[in-house]
Amino acid sequence: MDLADKAVGLLLSVISLSVFTYYTFWVIILPFVDTDHFVHKYFLPQEYAILIPVFALAALLCFLCMFVGYVMLKSKKKKA
Amino acid sequence: MKHILKILALLVAISACWIGLLQVSVIPESYTWLLPLYFIVSLGCYGILMVGVGLMQFPTCPQEALLLHQDILEAKDFLKNKGVDVGSN
Repeated sequence: MDLADKAVGLLLSVISLSVFTYYTFWVIILPFVDTDHFVHKYFLPQEYAILIPVFALAALLCFLCMFVGYVMLKSKKKKA
Repeated sequence: MKHILKILALLVAISACWIGLLQVSVIPESYTWLLPLYFIVSLGCYGILMVGVGLMQFPTCPQEALLLHQDILEAKDFLKNKGVDVGSN
């Protein structure tokens, strides 16, 4: 049981570290590299560096609002 | 109410710093536009990292679990002898 916990914890930290390094590289280091370096192949165009986090934030907000509304509706139906 | 005011004051201070950074132009402008988003993403990453690290280091105390099981069995026997219905597991 604790092995599964450790595995999930390790997975989460690995994901977070890789996302952080990828995003740091994307936003901070890449604009300084010349445009015909091979590294640019591994990174999406820079507009996506803005679109993807903003889209994720908006999706999270929508999900939160839907969840809150759903819980409120369910509680009102139970009381009535 | 005071707590909300404190948080709002912090937000206003950070935005003032950001706009000041835009005006001074020490850093190239494209960087200054992306900086708040970068900080939000890194904050989320830090949160997930802390959750992962906490999960990995969570202590399970196997000896205490064993002692607890023995205590439960002892209590069940005692109550059954006294006539209380302890039910099934």
